[in-house]
Amino acid sequence: MRDCKPKALAARTGVALLLLAAAVGVASAAADAPSATRSLREYAVPDVRLVRDDGKVVSLPEEMNDGRPVVLNFIFTTCTSICPAMSSVFAQFERRLGVDAGKVHLMSISLDPEQDTPARLVEYARRFHAGPEWQHYTGTVAASLAAQRAFDVYRGGKMSHGALTLMRAAPGKPWLRIDGLATPDDLLRDYRELLATR
Amino acid sequence: MTSWRLAVAGAWLAAGLAPQAPAAASPALGVGQSIYVRGVLASGAPLEGTRASGGGVTSGAEAACVNCHQRSGLGSVEGYLSIPPVAGDYLFHSRAQDAREPALPYAESLRGNRAPYTEATLARAIREGVDSQGRPLSYLMPRFALGDDDMTALIAYLRKLGTGQVPGVTDTVLHFATIVTPDADPVKRQGMLDVLEHFFVQKNLSPLKPTPPMLTSSRTQYSKSMYMANRRWQLHVWELTGPAPTWRAQLERRLAAEPVYAVLSGLGGSNWAPVHAFCEQHAIPCLLPNVEVPVVAERDFYPLYFSKGVLLEAQLVARAILGPDERPNARAVEQVYRAGDSGEPAAEALAALLRGHGVTVHGTVLPAGAHGRGVAAALRKVAQRKGARGQALVLWLRPTDVAALGDVPEGTATVYVSGLMGGLERSPLPAGWREHAVLTYPLDLPDRRGIRLDYPLGWFAARRIPLVAEQVQTDTYLACNLVADVLNRMADNFVQAYLIEQLQASLEHRLITGYYPRLSLASNQRFASKGGYIVRFRDPRGTALVAEGDWIAP
Repeated sequence: MRDCKPKALAARTGVALLLLAAAVGVASAAADAPSATRSLREYAVPDVRLVRDDGKVVSLPEEMNDGRPVVLNFIFTTCTSICPAMSSVFAQFERRLGVDAGKVHLMSISLDPEQDTPARLVEYARRFHAGPEWQHYTGTVAASLAAQRAFDVYRGGKMSHGALTLMRAAPGKPWLRIDGLATPDDLLRDYRELLATR
Repeated sequence: MTSWRLAVAGAWLAAGLAPQAPAAASPALGVGQSIYVRGVLASGAPLEGTRASGGGVTSGAEAACVNCHQRSGLGSVEGYLSIPPVAGDYLFHSRAQDAREPALPYAESLRGNRAPYTEATLARAIREGVDSQGRPLSYLMPRFALGDDDMTALIAYLRKLGTGQVPGVTDTVLHFATIVTPDADPVKRQGMLDVLEHFFVQKNLSPLKPTPPMLTSSRTQYSKSMYMANRRWQLHVWELTGPAPTWRAQLERRLAAEPVYAVLSGLGGSNWAPVHAFCEQHAIPCLLPNVEVPVVAERDFYPLYFSKGVLLEAQLVARAILGPDERPNARAVEQVYRAGDSGEPAAEALAALLRGHGVTVHGTVLPAGAHGRGVAAALRKVAQRKGARGQALVLWLRPTDVAALGDVPEGTATVYVSGLMGGLERSPLPAGWREHAVLTYPLDLPDRRGIRLDYPLGWFAARRIPLVAEQVQTDTYLACNLVADVLNRMADNFVQAYLIEQLQASLEHRLITGYYPRLSLASNQRFASKGGYIVRFRDPRGTALVAEGDWIAP
């Protein structure tokens, strides 16, 4: 199993970083906002097979490389505190995108794949009124771990994860990593900034 | 007037409201619980909470306090998140003025950095999201627009949380029961009891004196473990007798005579439901018994199991027949089981899983008891039935029946044998059957689990415990260790719901997992191991197995 540590981006992304730094300044000014930190990273998407919530076995790189911008998080369905909050943020982000929602791919990968069968993922997605562009993924423990490690999410178990959102404008572009719980407005702003620098 | 009525009256007075007639307080407590656990207000409307900075609205069960603060009210720790306890004592208790003062029972996410709440500042915290000193609460804590009556009821419920007397716990003794049903295998029973008794003896080796109250100054890991070491573990073996409908009353009598803190391990036959229901009703943790047919009730709280047993095997067979894309590879399935044995509920579960997929399911029921008799004749009869050719055969049979299968009937296609019932790799499956048969194997493979069994097997050998039922004995030893470890973490806190929550939260970090490749739970999860293999025998004789594919979590 590969353990891909993220690399800080080289100078070519310096401009994007500056733009993002401006966006961060705006976000953190909001009263009582959670302290989310942002960074640009490069991750090698591992070539693993996952099971999508419709039961279909899919390739993770193919799911991510269909041309749409990707917004990604990691959750599990019996998580009671941070995951519902993250999923609720995804749901509101999706709603606030309005007509642009059809252009994005929201992906949630399970940290507890043996418990989270496709049927349980569908039920979970329904709880948050997930739209057609938001899919949930499960699979083997090894596949989920490979994805967690590739995105530097793995912290020793599902109970040890923190709030995290990743987004990428297009295949080949760097990932924006947001550690901490971002609000839907934050995500919307970050997303639009990211697309503008594409 | 009971203490909660006093608390409710106190809440009204503190809120500056005229106290109502005491009769009105009774439903108020129900309302508090309903808000906390279900997210439903007195009016029946869903509880609504809003997170700051456009974080959105959460409502109903999703917004219920229990999700984060837990059933015990003692909070949780998840990743970087530490969710504080909200059981009344932790909210209202004044700060220690002196390090020698007795401390509140330990809770992992305890906050010591704020002034105690009053009724008014607590209501403000819930409505406006600021703590007792006016500082903002975590972004995760929604702001709840609760009316005065709902707020009063909720606070009354919080005051009551965690204040009940915990049964089976004294200053020097922790009382545990283990339960054996009369249909349990007598060899497994003796094997399990041997392990339990030796474990309890070892637990009690250190010299004992009454446990002093834990002081504010003594909250170190080292002193925490000292508090547990001071309590002797006492085992009560509750052996049930007679028919199943009488077990519940027997359990009630035993509990009244010997209040226990938890049921640890245990052994069942084909019916564990009365024990499960008893534990749930009395709010007694019922931890990791050796049962083939556990009760699948996701909303129950107190019983936890290693796996779904034969019901998991039924899921594995269904997956093997239907495949991942749910296109069946057999048009008909014949299930063979003994009346009243664990195969009966397993066969029902498999039939339900295959329903609606165009698979015809038959059952051949052998008479109860009479092990080894009539099985070969029944199989010949099945083979002669019209349409039997090419059907899948599922055998929910004990080793004595497996040994007596006779010749393989002509036209037999795939045969699925319950590994748990049939003796796993030691199943006496006749040579002729081995090329047709696969075993469901909801455990790690023998060559992979070896290293995880070295320690328990060495522990048994050192104590001269006869190895008569390896899986039951190592599972029992594992259950004892898991519970001991979690109780050490809990120090001087014995809230029974907290024991369940702590087990659920910590289990996945356990490295020594015995027969299982991994164990993992979380809130609302009751079954720690979730999958299995389909295996076949490598040779006409012997115990060597070959997995047909990867571990499957159906």
